[in-house]
Amino acid sequence: MSRMKTIAALSAGAFLFVMSLMAGPKIYSPAELWNMLVLGADERARSVIMGLRLPRILMALGVGASLSVSGAVFQAILKNPLADPYLIGVSSGAACGAAAAIVLGLGYFWVAAFSFAGSLGVISAVFLISRRMKIGGSSLILSGVSLGFILSSAVLMIFFLAGPGKVHQAVMWMMGDFSAARYDMLAYMGAFCALLIAFVALYARHLDVISMGDLYAQNLGVTPASVRALFWAAALLASICVSLCGVIGFVGLIIPHAVRKAVGPGHSSLVPWAAAAGGVFLMAADAVGRSVVRPYDVPVGIITGFAGGIFFLLFVARGREYR
Amino acid sequence: MEIFTLENVCAGYEGRPVLDGVTLRIVEGEFVAIIGPNGSGKSTLVKVLAGAIKPVSGMIKFRERPLGNYGWGDLARSFSVVHQFGPDPLPFTVREFVSMGRFPHRGFFPAMDPGRKREDRHREAVERAMALAGVEDLALRKITELSGGERQLCAIACALAQNSRIILLDEPIASLDIRHSMTIMDVLYDLNCSGSTVIAVLHDINIAACYCRRMLGLKSGRLFIDDSTEGAVAYDRIEALYDTLCVTGKDPVTSKPHVYPVPGFVKKRFGSSGGISGGGASTEA
Repeated sequence: MSRMKTIAALSAGAFLFVMSLMAGPKIYSPAELWNMLVLGADERARSVIMGLRLPRILMALGVGASLSVSGAVFQAILKNPLADPYLIGVSSGAACGAAAAIVLGLGYFWVAAFSFAGSLGVISAVFLISRRMKIGGSSLILSGVSLGFILSSAVLMIFFLAGPGKVHQAVMWMMGDFSAARYDMLAYMGAFCALLIAFVALYARHLDVISMGDLYAQNLGVTPASVRALFWAAALLASICVSLCGVIGFVGLIIPHAVRKAVGPGHSSLVPWAAAAGGVFLMAADAVGRSVVRPYDVPVGIITGFAGGIFFLLFVARGREYR
Repeated sequence: MEIFTLENVCAGYEGRPVLDGVTLRIVEGEFVAIIGPNGSGKSTLVKVLAGAIKPVSGMIKFRERPLGNYGWGDLARSFSVVHQFGPDPLPFTVREFVSMGRFPHRGFFPAMDPGRKREDRHREAVERAMALAGVEDLALRKITELSGGERQLCAIACALAQNSRIILLDEPIASLDIRHSMTIMDVLYDLNCSGSTVIAVLHDINIAACYCRRMLGLKSGRLFIDDSTEGAVAYDRIEALYDTLCVTGKDPVTSKPHVYPVPGFVKKRFGSSGGISGGGASTEA
């Protein structure tokens, strides 16, 4: 990407960051922000910004980056531009675990733990089923989609058995939301996700070759072990995010797609830019969600769903091919 | 030096045997065409040579060491394989795509390559490969925008960037027009003249006869013909290989043997007895 474009993209990111600090149930002007954050006026508003909005923004940045990088990896491994982490069942496993925990009346920690266990279970199952064939073929997608169907029914079954209050709570969880963001949780999540993203970035050249097809990967000496490692890194990234924030759709699908249009298909630039763009996109989507129907918090999954759908419609309407 | 040594190799996919006891030796500097009917095991043979399929029985040696003793990276550095393009690749530029051929030669961490010299060497190899394949003008085009023939040339450039000493090709000129076919075969011919070993699956016997020195004819997984071009392209042998009535002659330009299949005379329709009286006449006779 040219230097001008890079500067434009970075300043757009910075601008959106400031906008997100301003957005919320109460909208602050830039002058107010400056006064409270730099000059230290209005202690109460400052604690709202630093204690609630900032961790939420950081969480959105981290989750967006992780989901987007995870999507980029799956699109390369599966050789499918419409692939995303949820296609192999990360989300359905997590939803099933979370629904069970919520219906049992467990707290936030256990909801996250159950949903993480659920998505790990599905990933392992998909991995084991498709390992007999070659990883990367349609076997991954097919086993992921079929497990997804089974688990969606399991979720509905749980809803059927549970009371309406719990069901509402579980449905809200599935729409995705960042209101639980706290600094200690952010530190762990951020460290894990940053490590996994760095790992993926190191394998950028592998991803290039893998995306050309199995025969190329084989004859250029990409080992099946490295493909498996990439699969697990991407799957873990997605399931960490989903278990902490719920099912936030479309980020892993549209962001790598759009970024590929801008910086090209080479993964050495695609991975970092997808991480940046995914983070900023989710941060902006959450800011929109916080401020459109004040004082209510519209779940961020609804916003990304709208944005993603419209993006694809525009894509189709402009008659571009899917790559 | 013997590049590939196969002894009684049987191989196949998930219990479906394709190759049935193939024994052959390929020496450095050869230009070998693999011919035969569809489904006779030509592509499987290439995959077995490339180490992509492990044989069920028999032994394969590469440079007089068992093929299984080589790691993935070793094999990728030792020879290159040209495949058919997948249905829709990502829009890499031609230069980016050809650079992928350097993948097995690079260290895992780019920073571990000492100095900029190593990087220069990779870049040089990529430029040289593009020049050899004649795609340097396309360097900045996207591979998705290219025609089938141009893509095939890029795939060959990628293989040359990987290793230009030994090249295996699976149907490099399938479904290409005569101009692109000739371009690609000329590139391979020049490589062979400069000492490279070229092994190619070819469907067009006449093009194969013009360029290759040795022909391997596979029929139902067995090595049916292993001979020089002049010996292999005789009407009785080609007829038996394809079960199709053929007439052979001489190419007016290259004086190499030429095959003309006769319309309406696929042998199966006449029963398994084979010979059609008076049919297999050579125009040379």
